[in-house]
Amino acid sequence: MLLPTFQYHEPSTLEETLHLLSEHGGNARVLAGGTDLLVRMKLKIDKPSHVISISKVPGMDSIIPRENHSVTVGAGCTAATLAASEKLMDRFLPLASAASRLGAPMIRNRATIGGNIMNARPAADLPPACMVLNATAKLKSSAGEREVPINEFFKGPGESIAESNELLVSLNMETPPPWSGGSYIKLGSRKTLEISMVNVATLLTLAAADGPIVDVRIALGAVAATPVRAYAAEEMLIGQFPSEAIFHEAGQIGVGLCSPITDHRGTMEYRCMMIEVLIKRSLGQAFERAQSWKP
Amino acid sequence: MKTIIRLTINGESYETAVDPNRTLLQFLREDLGLTGAKHGCGLGDCGACTVLLNGKPVNSCLVLAVQTNEGEVLTIEGLAENGKLHPLQQSFVDKGAIQCGFCTPGMILSAKALLDLNPKPSEQDIRTAISGNLCRCTGYQKIVEAVQDAAETITSTEVS
Repeated sequence: MLLPTFQYHEPSTLEETLHLLSEHGGNARVLAGGTDLLVRMKLKIDKPSHVISISKVPGMDSIIPRENHSVTVGAGCTAATLAASEKLMDRFLPLASAASRLGAPMIRNRATIGGNIMNARPAADLPPACMVLNATAKLKSSAGEREVPINEFFKGPGESIAESNELLVSLNMETPPPWSGGSYIKLGSRKTLEISMVNVATLLTLAAADGPIVDVRIALGAVAATPVRAYAAEEMLIGQFPSEAIFHEAGQIGVGLCSPITDHRGTMEYRCMMIEVLIKRSLGQAFERAQSWKP
Repeated sequence: MKTIIRLTINGESYETAVDPNRTLLQFLREDLGLTGAKHGCGLGDCGACTVLLNGKPVNSCLVLAVQTNEGEVLTIEGLAENGKLHPLQQSFVDKGAIQCGFCTPGMILSAKALLDLNPKPSEQDIRTAISGNLCRCTGYQKIVEAVQDAAETITSTEVS
């Protein structure tokens, strides 16, 4: 399978990258890991006349803790880096866990968080995890920069609020407060190289080990045209004491917020049943981890 | 427009001009005649084209040759030393972990990357490491046994 021809750019600074993007805009694509872009180009879905590799731009692949309140993840961090990061596994479990389920080992060695977000595929692994961690995306262009909450980032399959001259440089994730626990569950017909039939990320915060729920976030993928936050289910849970019954109720509310389709991966009916089950199961996991939270 | 790249492949230095739309796999197979890495799906699904880039397994069909500039590539051709098979290759032969052979180079390189990092892997570690390498002869069990066997050989040789 052959790649079409294109002009290749390998800028070594951020400024140069942004300049190239403003110059070529819609005719250019940013190449990070290439695991999506090169596939799309081989299949002639994407036909950019310019390909801008960001591999030589310094600092794009770092994970920087911001004291105790957040962590900044460079857009060039690979899924393998995220999955192996002890810092992320400890406090940002949904992200590390989702990264460990993306593709296969070889894909994870190349695929980046920036690519997974910017592609805006409804079934992608990392967006729901970023959503429950209240991530903000930093977009830069030669005209300036802006920070956008990831919960307002996605507009449709393959569509986001990012403009063609903007580069996603990093994502900032809020450190969950004490007594928080998270979970990511991916449902597919096999464990590896699978695109989710449904995926769910949750983050649950208790007042204390035996206290009520003070905050909870639920995000789902492959259930609508964009990843979805189950706000109504979250509102119902806040203030309540955790139990199987209310987690089940949250699942029932969650289904009503989704509009899954029938495709070769699964039917709409099956997806609806699984949304209900997986929300309940994921909340249960997050609750157990919140209870065993350690300073 | 062609770009000049310099890289090391199986310990040898290369300097050559490549077209930007040439994949690492095409470069290895068609330009250098290193046909050990196989062209399977071409889309990153099958793992037959696996090579090690800077020590990590990647799908060479989804890496541009220009992206490997200043990198280090190991293909299956570079694994045997002085005509002696690498313990992984020997174990694959001994344990009957090869049927048609199409997945074998990728399997062995994924396994090598694992053993380099984790010399005493669990069965699950091995299964995860080769999870992106598809074998359609359904030989996974023997492949896992061969990797376990090679891990023991490598560890015992190092100790003695």
